[in-house]
Amino acid sequence: MAWTPGEDVVEVVRAPAPGAAGGLYRSFGETLRGLKTTFARIIEGPVTIQYPEEKVPVYPRFRGRHKLHRFEDTGLEKCVGCSLCAAACPADCIRVVAAENTPDNRVSAGERYAAVYEINLSRCIFCGYCEVACPFDAITMGHEYELSDYSRTDLIFTKEMLLAEPLERTPLRKEGE
Amino acid sequence: MMARPEPKSITFTIDGLEVEAPENAMLVDAAKLGDIEIPVFCYEPKLGNPVGACRMCLVEIEGIPKLQTGCSTPVKDGMVVHTQSERVRTAQQAVVEFLLINHPLDCPVCDKGGECPLQDITFGWGAGSSRFIEPKRHFVKPLELSPLIAIDRERCILCYRCVRFSQEIAEDYQLVLLERGAHSYVSTFDAHPYVAPFSGNIIELCPVGALTSRPYRFRARPWDIEGAGSVCTFCPSQCNVTLTVRDERVLRVLARDHAEVDDGWLCDKGRFAYQSIHVDERITEPLVRDGGELRAVPWERALQEAASALARARGKVAALAGGQSTNEEAFLLARLMREGLGSERIDTLAGVAPAKQHQLARPDLQAKVSDLEFADTVLVLGSEPVDDMPIVDLRIRKGVRRRRVKLALATSRPSSLDRNARLALRYSPGCEGAFLRALALALAGEDCQTPAQAAGAEGEQVRQLAELLRSGGSDVVILYGERMLAQGSAVEGLLRLASMLELSGRDGAGMLAVPAAGANGRGLLEAGFAPGYGPGLQPRPTASDQIDLTAAQLGAHAMAGGLSSGELSAVYLLHADPLESALPRAQWSHALAQASTVIAHASFLTEGVRDHATVVFPAQSYAEKEGTLVHPDGRLQRLRPAIGKQGQTRAEWSVICELAKRCGLDLGVLTGPMASKQLFEAVPFYAALTLEEIGGRGVRWQERDAAAGFPEPPPLEAEEPPAALPSPNGALRLGSFRSIWAATEVRVSPALQFLHPTQRVEMAPADAERLGLAHGETVRVSANDSSVTATVTLRDSTPAGSVFLEEGLGAHSANALAGAMVEVRKA
Repeated sequence: MAWTPGEDVVEVVRAPAPGAAGGLYRSFGETLRGLKTTFARIIEGPVTIQYPEEKVPVYPRFRGRHKLHRFEDTGLEKCVGCSLCAAACPADCIRVVAAENTPDNRVSAGERYAAVYEINLSRCIFCGYCEVACPFDAITMGHEYELSDYSRTDLIFTKEMLLAEPLERTPLRKEGE
Repeated sequence: MMARPEPKSITFTIDGLEVEAPENAMLVDAAKLGDIEIPVFCYEPKLGNPVGACRMCLVEIEGIPKLQTGCSTPVKDGMVVHTQSERVRTAQQAVVEFLLINHPLDCPVCDKGGECPLQDITFGWGAGSSRFIEPKRHFVKPLELSPLIAIDRERCILCYRCVRFSQEIAEDYQLVLLERGAHSYVSTFDAHPYVAPFSGNIIELCPVGALTSRPYRFRARPWDIEGAGSVCTFCPSQCNVTLTVRDERVLRVLARDHAEVDDGWLCDKGRFAYQSIHVDERITEPLVRDGGELRAVPWERALQEAASALARARGKVAALAGGQSTNEEAFLLARLMREGLGSERIDTLAGVAPAKQHQLARPDLQAKVSDLEFADTVLVLGSEPVDDMPIVDLRIRKGVRRRRVKLALATSRPSSLDRNARLALRYSPGCEGAFLRALALALAGEDCQTPAQAAGAEGEQVRQLAELLRSGGSDVVILYGERMLAQGSAVEGLLRLASMLELSGRDGAGMLAVPAAGANGRGLLEAGFAPGYGPGLQPRPTASDQIDLTAAQLGAHAMAGGLSSGELSAVYLLHADPLESALPRAQWSHALAQASTVIAHASFLTEGVRDHATVVFPAQSYAEKEGTLVHPDGRLQRLRPAIGKQGQTRAEWSVICELAKRCGLDLGVLTGPMASKQLFEAVPFYAALTLEEIGGRGVRWQERDAAAGFPEPPPLEAEEPPAALPSPNGALRLGSFRSIWAATEVRVSPALQFLHPTQRVEMAPADAERLGLAHGETVRVSANDSSVTATVTLRDSTPAGSVFLEEGLGAHSANALAGAMVEVRKA
């Protein structure tokens, strides 16, 4: 049995059929408006960045991979292994094991130093709390964001890796850029 | 009877809150009952009377014009106190600011950071800023106060806690405050290292990071660690401890206050010997002797070797257990021996017949540890508490100092408690039985001159001791060294003493033994690890084919003889090394060499294990174990695993069960708690006990209804008469002692190593002069063809005619000498 619509069916009211000029505008008008934007951009040249040959510059306060710092004058590590960064870390990705400086093995400026300093970057959420917690500005968030690797264990960064200068510098965005 | 104070309850108002508190409690404590915290630094009830040094606890009391220190003001009925008023707040902020003037604020490098009362109080009650811009005072830091403790004087807030501990609790009088004002600093008087048996407690007392533990220094921060409650098994005190654990390693041991056990203190052995859990020397895999050398093998091979050797030696096997064994381990091993291998020959290292221990283990005679503090008179008999049961030493000192307990000492060796005692009496080594006879005569009012002389004591002193015991008040607690029970008529003497002083059934009086078998000596006996006794001190049924042997023929002494003669072929050592204990060394050395199989559960290759064991199972440390222990006063306490298994160690109970299975006996134990359950079912006076009931604080079985199940000891058999005092004939009488530091775990712990003793012979200056010996000279001490090398130590208080040698030092121990009379000659 065929379905019969009930009284609820409302008839669609259509617009009056367009004339010739109206029809033309409806066919090409909006398209031309879009093309105007397109052609206007041609003179600007391409903006595609050829990653990885070319890198996106980051803002100065970009929170990338962490860096540990040394004092420039003495070469001693700024980190004293206080473990406050580990306490502040919401992802629980920092592990610090401290040890005591001895006169013949002075590593940091304080009484203690970090014998083990590891950040598990596969866990890190890059919140920057460690940087905020650090009483000696020993750890800061760097600009490196190329962190992919082939195994999870390689993503545990040791103290030596964090202290070393990054192999390639990430370009910084210039003012007004 | 001197009743323990039962305070009256009063009501006072604090911050508008009506709070009920015991009268004369200090305001700081009373406020806590109303959930109000008054900040303190120097106040610590464990240290005795408050000193009010830090001024942090200032409060306003209506009716008193000036602010008062809450820690030293007793609360009175109707008192109205304000802790939140403007005046109080200003004062608190001023005190914090003042304390921080010279505090270096090096919290990031300070070990206390994160668990520091100064941090907490500055955060909670401080002003948040300082007006002080001048340079701070500086000291050289960090310095070694002792090899165990580092001191940072800049951080010190001069609260006096450590000094009070040294002066009033440990009474070693070493720590003092030198100089004045801002230049004051804590030090020993002439800057020698603070080395004392209880020094580590000041680390825990320090409210700032001024005193820190060197072994724990910079190992972890409070948010890196977890705490795990357990019980220390290094000595019979069985102090309650919290183990600090990081990455499955024990990094620190802290006290877990228990007024009935340790009173919140720890000795340095308990505090620092945790290092022995993680040293390289520790055995962590099964070893089997192969070609004359112990080699690491897989578990399967070790179990197979042990099981087949045990099966071969069926009926010809003996077992020895050391004091670190839990009740469950001892219980299961006893079952394996009796049910699986048909051997009744099991014993501890005590060297005392269990029938004698049974006589004195009666619940009606049992004193508690806290009774030592509240008694009228305490008699220490044949024991040096600081070596045998260190925490009890502090308890006795506390009783004498704060409650004026009359302390009497009757020992053969001079004691460190001599200065605190009303009467310190000496008898000759090995003459406890004769001495107790003389004391009984004196108590009965008879002449004791001759019997006292037979014990090498002075008659007048014995009479004075009797007088003190009789008239000093009815609550008498006798702390006796269990090893003296091996002496003739010592049990009889103690029982007579108890009945003459009417100690039976009296609350707050009684006797407390220092177990001779080690930390869990009492538990081993109660779990049935004793010759002729089953679980719960029930005599073994006569059905066994070995029952015609008396207990003495089953015991450790006969065991050595049996092994030497070939009557026994195998011996099972559960945390026991007969060569490291007080047993006769030459005899056991020969016995172990003759045994065809020696199976050992051991953590370290001590001499007996290293040279004689054929199969060694790696033993668990107390931090890995689960099980129960019995304190010398009958308190069952629980061990709980704090860390995972180290290396390939396996729980002892599981190894024993596995061996039993391979010998054809199913012990029916699959988990630790199942072993506990079996034990509780087997011991009548533990009936219906559960691990939950024991919990974290332990439970004394004497206080449970099931205590009625304690089997009444049979009438005392006639004991051998007390040993006659041998005629000196120019020789010297030998006494022995075991120092708190003469232990394997001390020797292997890097931090404690420096305390491990070398053999020294303590003698009276008069004897030394007669023999032409000087202090520090190396001598040979010999008796009946055996001799040891030792250094002469002159002690004024040593009675002339006696010398004392140390035990637990391997080949140079006192037990290497065969004979009670020795000669001392220059080496």
